[in-house]
Amino acid sequence: MFWGKRLGSVALALLGCLILQRVGLGLNSYFQTMLVLAGVYVTLSVSLNLINGITGQFSIGHAAFYMIGAYSAGVLARAFYVPLDKSLYSPLNNGFQGLVQSISPGFTCQLQPLMWLIGVMIAGAIFAAVAGFVVGLPSLRLKGDYLAIVTMGFGEIVSIIVRNQEPLGKSYGLEIKPTIPSIFLTWLLAVVCIAVCRNLLKNVHGLSFLAVREDEVASSAMGVNVTRVKVAAFVLGSAFAGAAGAIYAHSLGFVSPTNFSMDISFIILTMVILGGSGSITGATVAAVVLFYIPEWLRDLKTIPMAGFVGAIFATIMVVALVKRTLDGFQEKGRKTAMIFASIGAGIVMTIALRFALKGVTGLEGSIDGNKLRFVVLAAILVILMLLRPQGIFAHHEFSWKWVKGLFKKKTAVSA
Amino acid sequence: MDFSTHFVAAFELTTLPQQLINGLLNGAIYALIALGYTMVYGVLKLINFAHGEVFMLGAYGALFVSWKLGYQPDGNAPPPSLMALVLMLLGAMLICTIVAFFIERFAYRPMRNQPRIASLITAIGLSLLLQYAGQIFLLNGTPQTIQAEKISPFSGNVVLNLRGADQSRLAEAEKLKPAWDAAVAEFKARMPLEPGGEFNLSQEGERLHTKQGDAERAYKAALNDGNAGVMKIEVPKGQVVLFTITIILMAVLTYLVMFTKQGRAMRAVSHDFNAASLMGINIDSIITFTFLLGSALAGAGAMMYCTFIPGTKIDSFLGLAPGIKAFTAAVLGGIGNIPGAVLGGLVMGVAEYLVVWAGYDSYRDAIAFLILIVVLLFRPGGLLGSAKVEKV
Amino acid sequence: MKPSIKTLAFTLVSTFVLGAALTGCNGGGDTPKTEGDNTKPPVAGGTTAVRPVPPSEGPMAEGDTIKIGTVCSVTGDNKPWGEDSYEGSKLAVEEFNAAGGLGGKKVELILGDSASKPDQAKTATEKLMSQGVIALIGEVSSGNTIQMAKSAFLKGIPVVAVGATRTDLGNEGTHVFRVCYSDDFQGPVMAQFAYANKNLRNVAVMTDNSLPYSQGLSKSFITAFEKLGGKVKEHFYASGAGGNSNYSGNLTEIKGENPDGLFLSGYFTEVGPIVNQARAAGITVPVMGGDGWDSDLILASGGDAIIGGYFCNHYNNADNRPQVIEFLKKWRAKHNGKDPGTTMGALGYDAMAITLNALKNAKTVGAKGILDALEDTVDYKAVSGDITLKGMNGNPDKRAIVVEITKKDAAGNWQKFAKDFVASDIKK
Repeated sequence: MFWGKRLGSVALALLGCLILQRVGLGLNSYFQTMLVLAGVYVTLSVSLNLINGITGQFSIGHAAFYMIGAYSAGVLARAFYVPLDKSLYSPLNNGFQGLVQSISPGFTCQLQPLMWLIGVMIAGAIFAAVAGFVVGLPSLRLKGDYLAIVTMGFGEIVSIIVRNQEPLGKSYGLEIKPTIPSIFLTWLLAVVCIAVCRNLLKNVHGLSFLAVREDEVASSAMGVNVTRVKVAAFVLGSAFAGAAGAIYAHSLGFVSPTNFSMDISFIILTMVILGGSGSITGATVAAVVLFYIPEWLRDLKTIPMAGFVGAIFATIMVVALVKRTLDGFQEKGRKTAMIFASIGAGIVMTIALRFALKGVTGLEGSIDGNKLRFVVLAAILVILMLLRPQGIFAHHEFSWKWVKGLFKKKTAVSA
Repeated sequence: MDFSTHFVAAFELTTLPQQLINGLLNGAIYALIALGYTMVYGVLKLINFAHGEVFMLGAYGALFVSWKLGYQPDGNAPPPSLMALVLMLLGAMLICTIVAFFIERFAYRPMRNQPRIASLITAIGLSLLLQYAGQIFLLNGTPQTIQAEKISPFSGNVVLNLRGADQSRLAEAEKLKPAWDAAVAEFKARMPLEPGGEFNLSQEGERLHTKQGDAERAYKAALNDGNAGVMKIEVPKGQVVLFTITIILMAVLTYLVMFTKQGRAMRAVSHDFNAASLMGINIDSIITFTFLLGSALAGAGAMMYCTFIPGTKIDSFLGLAPGIKAFTAAVLGGIGNIPGAVLGGLVMGVAEYLVVWAGYDSYRDAIAFLILIVVLLFRPGGLLGSAKVEKV
Repeated sequence: MKPSIKTLAFTLVSTFVLGAALTGCNGGGDTPKTEGDNTKPPVAGGTTAVRPVPPSEGPMAEGDTIKIGTVCSVTGDNKPWGEDSYEGSKLAVEEFNAAGGLGGKKVELILGDSASKPDQAKTATEKLMSQGVIALIGEVSSGNTIQMAKSAFLKGIPVVAVGATRTDLGNEGTHVFRVCYSDDFQGPVMAQFAYANKNLRNVAVMTDNSLPYSQGLSKSFITAFEKLGGKVKEHFYASGAGGNSNYSGNLTEIKGENPDGLFLSGYFTEVGPIVNQARAAGITVPVMGGDGWDSDLILASGGDAIIGGYFCNHYNNADNRPQVIEFLKKWRAKHNGKDPGTTMGALGYDAMAITLNALKNAKTVGAKGILDALEDTVDYKAVSGDITLKGMNGNPDKRAIVVEITKKDAAGNWQKFAKDFVASDIKK
């Protein structure tokens, strides 16, 4: 029974990834790219959730591990990769190839692209894990905001070093051949990451992670090896980020420091917290949602649509703010006041937005939603946080029981 | 040329005193912004990521005030005046205070009883919102500059001579000057005969041009040789003003926090939120007051940053870089600690400039973080802070 | 904790070893030789590699309008340039449509925002292609353009770069064109100007380490200047999230070195303050730079110090070529009398105009038709100079002009023509 269930879920996961791959191939290349990038973000978010949400170590430098993974993939590909199909081979006239050839003349590595990608993922994971170990060590002494700034500083240092190294392409970046966008592997990685985190929480080791989050001193008194747990969280979390970086590098065929800047770290952190700190389901869902919103907003083109979106957001925001503001009052007319205030403010905000939007008109009176997408993204972020500070899923996880519960309730009502 | 001159020149120590002073002045900028950061952190216990954006809005406030006063990039500007600087300062502080009021009231206060990390994400969200909205609504995101040299009466440098030039060598160099003058005169006399103008010379013109250049180089090289041992410190007056104001502000804030009733309440709130409220302290008003004070400091910092460092570009991402550096400085000094913030800023400033002096200027921005990491490893609470041991 | 980490490590290692064993990593011998890599003659723009040909014919125009996409950094760090590029392209399309379009069929310009980031440039490109564009205009920076080129390669859609000066851009494929010159022209132009015309021998270079553009330009300038016999010392600063606008550290070092010229390869947003502070620190040598200087905002941030500086530009607003006069008239009419903020306004216009011109001349109204017509462009009279793309591997053989910054005159001109260069002027 136990093993049957295990094997069943593994098979299901593989099948799911394969289906996703098949579905992706049927879509246009835009959605293929989106699927790959979404998978990368899911891995990033879930892996940061392990450090941040589950173990409670406040890290805001996740992009550094992601970057290390991506660059190690890039460097390896430039140094070693030769596809089996020699017509695809292009001379890589850079330092690494020369270095490798000088150490071992004529050394090449011929691999199927997918096998290569797996190898590079593992290599990226190892490099990032080493970095995670290095960063994890200070976490023994530091906590909270002090740890946060150390991780952020580490990210900055990595990025500054890359910007100054000629072999790493300086601030321009590295071109990587071949480009292997694999939906299957990306999502397989994401699923593995989710599974590792989930299974960790189900056994005693995982509980020690949670214990460290809740209370370090108490958990150490209960015999939890706090040092080991913290470092393990950093190593594991950054290894997955590194693997995601490797996949990302090979799906874009190009890495540059701007792709791993500090705001990427912030976005990943936001995914974790918005989903519900500690909730794997939350991290997954929030990653997909937050990744998709700015892409979706590219379609924000016509004035009515912009007005519509604006009105909805304005109203929600105002309701949220007014509700929060009036929470302290206990008067009878509170509800009515709230409704009227929000309707009034919603109208005012819509009109204001309508005027504001005049500044961003595109060709022939249309609106360039492109210019607005990050404003709207940030607004959504703030509103969601105000409405639901504990995150979308709070600490809850998705489970079949919960789904069954949903159906049961419904049948009970209909009966 | 005596031995020490030689030594100094050989090891490029000539720029060292200047770089140390530069470093201090640069650190004062970080310190000034870090003061606001650290005040807010002290009571709110929240890394206020939106602080940089409040700073940015303050800079825009100062810019608009300066435009209103007539200091536009084009056209005639009124004479420099101290009054204009004060008005800009007040304008920047006012804008920041207003913005901060709304941020605190509608974004941070509702989150006060929630996990701290939720407020942190709100802060990140606000910061993004202000950055990208600013890029659309604040002059369409076009980078602007305050016309500092037209406004500031603090123009010119404060010069401090540590060691003079080698006069005998300078006198020797002066002997080369007539040759240069002659070459210039010769080329000038030739110029009217040149059909192509200054940059399309004929062969003869080209020869004279090169000759002039060579004579000039010979003269300048001799001059530089004479000046090789010169050690002097030259500092823009504006930055001295900034440094002084930072130190004064630090003193005033320390007094405020340590010796006034309001300050005692602040410390109480910072120490224990609930106990403070049980003691009859109005938490809301204390937090609002501190937040507004911190933001007004950001405004003051922004105005001085953009005025005393001439040419600073003002766009909606302005707050990002100073924000990060100031945050680092505040943590380095021990976050929540006012003298610590200043010390942290100065240490960072000097460290950066020592790195530049040593010739590793491409790693200048990394050194701040490196120092931070090293310091925190040995003193987890920062330079002047104390690491609290959590009890069960 | 112990077993799970060990198991994980074992699994990882064994997978890697197994993978390597299965597919064969061979050390030594058997180096794959490639045919025809090093036999190609050097071509314009310094590109020596073979340019791959897109594998597919590319889509045809469908629907009532002809869709052309433009990817621009309309948000993020590069907004001033991206915005201008978009406005320029818009102007060209409006003009084309007002003149009747292509036999009555209008051109629809679709914008994709890259947020000044390469990965966003990729999704923007993919999105535009999914909307059925048959040509792509864009990007002001090379990193983003490379992403566009990579995405468009498989679909065979032509990409006309606006301001991507990176030298090896053309290696992406035969579908990539640009309307600007490349770094390996601009750098030597300024080196030659500095060495021969300004008689400088010892130049300090300041490079913005967070900008690929600045690093590339500095590199090509330094190489060329040293080849001419000059001496160079490079200094670095960063303008990104880590940097700040106080350059006194670099300037003190530069002053100690007594150079006779200062070359600033960054954007005008940083060059202004640098020059301003350099003068205040007592550095009075001539200053020079690249096309990143071109914005009248440099006058505001550089103050009096920037007057008399030289930079390399694509064109000059004070030019009396009819194309420039016409373009400025139209731009000013549309933007309340304002000039383009940066040089990307004109380049965005040119990129669009040359594509529309190709559309007119195309045999079929589709990606392939435009691509072939672009490749056949000869002597197109663009705002930024005459552009010939035929046989140039996408790198037009354009002239570069060096201009001197002067005080703004009554007509708003602030660039004084100093000297122009064509490719043959550069001593190899």
